[in-house]
Amino acid sequence: MIAQTAISMLLTSVAVYAATERRRSPVVALLSIIAAAAGLYFTWTPDHATQVAMWAGVGRGVDLVLYIWVCISLIVLLNLHLKLRRQMELVTVMARTIALAEARHRLSEKADRRRFPEAVRDR
Amino acid sequence: MRVWVVIAAYNEASVIGRVINEVKRRGYPVVVVDDGSSDRTADASAAAHVLVRHPINLGQGAALQTGIDFALERGADVIVTFDADGQHRAADIEKLVQAIRVADVDFALGSRFLGCSDGVPVARRVLLKAATLFTQLATGLRISDTHNGLRAMTRRGAGVVRLRQNRMAHASEMLSQIAASGLGYIEVPVTIEYSAYSMAKGQTIGDALTILLDLFARRLYR
Repeated sequence: MIAQTAISMLLTSVAVYAATERRRSPVVALLSIIAAAAGLYFTWTPDHATQVAMWAGVGRGVDLVLYIWVCISLIVLLNLHLKLRRQMELVTVMARTIALAEARHRLSEKADRRRFPEAVRDR
Repeated sequence: MRVWVVIAAYNEASVIGRVINEVKRRGYPVVVVDDGSSDRTADASAAAHVLVRHPINLGQGAALQTGIDFALERGADVIVTFDADGQHRAADIEKLVQAIRVADVDFALGSRFLGCSDGVPVARRVLLKAATLFTQLATGLRISDTHNGLRAMTRRGAGVVRLRQNRMAHASEMLSQIAASGLGYIEVPVTIEYSAYSMAKGQTIGDALTILLDLFARRLYR
């Protein structure tokens, strides 16, 4: 029961995450939701999971392997997400530096035009 | 007291010119941060005192931080953040600045629920109330409106604000930073004028979920 609840919470968070990502990557979001829904179903109906396992020609132990694989995939996914966020923070700092430098440059040009109108006209 | 108004704009070409002119009529210098718009927002912002252009779209939080950094560079004593979609009233800027001056606090936060907010749809009102409750529990701040883009901060206040949430979660992040800083704040009644345009740009329940996930994810790494 504890394992079922924990796995269900993880799978639900994947489904929520996928739903929020649906605009950016609809296919990945759809596949994630389907996988999470199937995972939830088999977590709470282990008999069906066994039946499917039997039907597929593998034993019960594969359930456990499958669940572990799901957990590991989630962690890898989360890790990738966090890495992307860190990258985005670096991109933000860089873009901000460029934007502020350009604004300063435009302002100094404007000030020059006001101070030396003749020089600007001669250019 | 040198007051700068920061407006973050993304694809607001149809309204930004009017918003800038309304603020300028009140005598405040305006810095518009064009957040990588794909429309003619930059051209329409020609009336602004300064236009800062992000080379790519980063999000409202990132644009506000850029504007705050710029205003601090220019020696601003008070920085006001103002939405680009025309739902704020320029007349409220003076109320915020006055509140900072009179109450001697570092932040004046606009609140639509203390002021006039006609025409707020029920779903939006419920969403905002839930967000406010969440913020109260998470930060301990006693506020009535959590996602109001109209706010003013002193130079000292701006110094403790360091937005790392690029997108919509920046509002909650800013409130957390205000709470952590221990600096004084006050809520000021402001008017929000809802239009079909601003409603279309407003947040949905899906966005609220994204904000929660962003805030959670930000706690998982340094």
